[in-house]
Amino acid sequence: MLPVGLELPRVLGLLRAGAAPGCSGSSRCCTARGQSPSDRPRQTLPPGAGPAPRRCPGRRIPARGSPAPFPWRISRPWSRGRMKQALVDDTEDVSLDFGSEEELALRKARIRHPLATFFHLFFRVSAIVTYLFCDWFSNSFVACFVTILLLLSFDFWSVKNVTGRLLVGLRWWNQIDEDGKSHWVFEAKRVPTIAASTEAEARIFWLGLIICPVIWTLFLFSTLFSLKLKWLALVIAGISLQTANLYGYIHCKLGGQKTISRVTSRLFGTADVPQRQSRRISEDGTEEHGKAVPR
Amino acid sequence: MAAVEGSGAGGTLFPGLADVSISQDIPVEGEITVPVGSHSPDEDYSTLDEPVRDTIMRDLKAVGKKFVHVMYPRKSSALLRDWDLWGPLVLCVSLALMLQGGSADSKDDGGPQFAEVFVIIWFGAVVITLNSKLLGGTISFFQSLCVLGYCVLPLTVAMLVCRLVLLAGAGTISFIIRLIVVVAMFGWSTLASTAFLADSQPPNRKALVVYPIFLFYFVISWMILTFTPQ
Repeated sequence: MLPVGLELPRVLGLLRAGAAPGCSGSSRCCTARGQSPSDRPRQTLPPGAGPAPRRCPGRRIPARGSPAPFPWRISRPWSRGRMKQALVDDTEDVSLDFGSEEELALRKARIRHPLATFFHLFFRVSAIVTYLFCDWFSNSFVACFVTILLLLSFDFWSVKNVTGRLLVGLRWWNQIDEDGKSHWVFEAKRVPTIAASTEAEARIFWLGLIICPVIWTLFLFSTLFSLKLKWLALVIAGISLQTANLYGYIHCKLGGQKTISRVTSRLFGTADVPQRQSRRISEDGTEEHGKAVPR
Repeated sequence: MAAVEGSGAGGTLFPGLADVSISQDIPVEGEITVPVGSHSPDEDYSTLDEPVRDTIMRDLKAVGKKFVHVMYPRKSSALLRDWDLWGPLVLCVSLALMLQGGSADSKDDGGPQFAEVFVIIWFGAVVITLNSKLLGGTISFFQSLCVLGYCVLPLTVAMLVCRLVLLAGAGTISFIIRLIVVVAMFGWSTLASTAFLADSQPPNRKALVVYPIFLFYFVISWMILTFTPQ
């Protein structure tokens, strides 16, 4: 499954645990009441990331003898009774789930990049639809061929350069350095608080990425067996473009296994490829796999 | 925490916490922070999260620059470093469009002719690239495809000129004009691509690499020269 979707509950769990709602007046803490969103220092995150998580200092140990409300929402049997009592008694500091307001807002906006999602699917689906129904649109083979080819090319470019990095934060490219050696670089953006809304986008992204090459493979077999060989070039072009994107993104996702990248670079690269696989986690949290020296 | 465990032996081990009870209402102090990616370095920010328009413009400019490099071939590494296959695609499509419907045995819509041109250009480029790699070249697969594709530009211009000349008439003079134009553009293409590709070969193998390129552009020029509109 997608780490994107899995990371979120864990992160929100941490956020919940990190909230220290049982604050007395003297200690500094960030309940929802005590601090408005505008007070908190906003980090200028890139637009694709979720909202900044909050740092919450812990609660100080109170003076001896004063009964303190139980701050953690950990349900142990011996603490449940006390917790409920604490929640009921303590009117000032209610145990709040910090993530809740953000979570709700994020869940409402399920698609944060509607245009990118639309175009991700638009080019692929319209290429398939045009291929299936080209006889209805025009009699000219050339017009259909050129249209489908252009749609496939636009789809390849947009999925590789735009929708991948906007929807799932992955990117792959080929880089040629000074010596003329070519490296394939697969990059995955790791922002811990990736928003819940991108689950839908990620699902759409991967479904579109996987289903369409399968459909084009079916077209290949139908072209071969029905002997409509003039379409063969187009179908092969379609398969290769879409499979290239699929392979690139799967490689990004899986994190650059050595065998895959070595085979690729030997096939497409030059003689000496550095054996060392550099995996660098830069300070902004993006993780780069592959053998490249980053740009 | 130590306070919880130390109650039994609190008196000796943890004197300061001797009177802290281990009842469940002792809060646990601590900080849990979720690591936040700090502000990205400018380089990564600008390419990973740039607006789409920037991406498009950057790629368009790269394609345009390569076209200019083909027309004035200089020893620059721009064509080789940032390869892209948009130019070859556009050139291939336009050449195939202009070449369709020109031979005697074509069908009504010139369908097979069109696909033929495509297959010839792309398959020919792949074969040349494989050949140069097998001869021990240091250029990468897609770079070579990129160069060969972009160097079809002079021949596309020749095709355009030929079609314009053929609009005027199909006599001997027009044939001579077309011949001169096609030969000149063929020479230009071959020289341009050789300038980029031959450097990556060891010196005694240069002829072996140049010959397939020569043949490739020769076939395309032949298709252009023998084109007669119906």
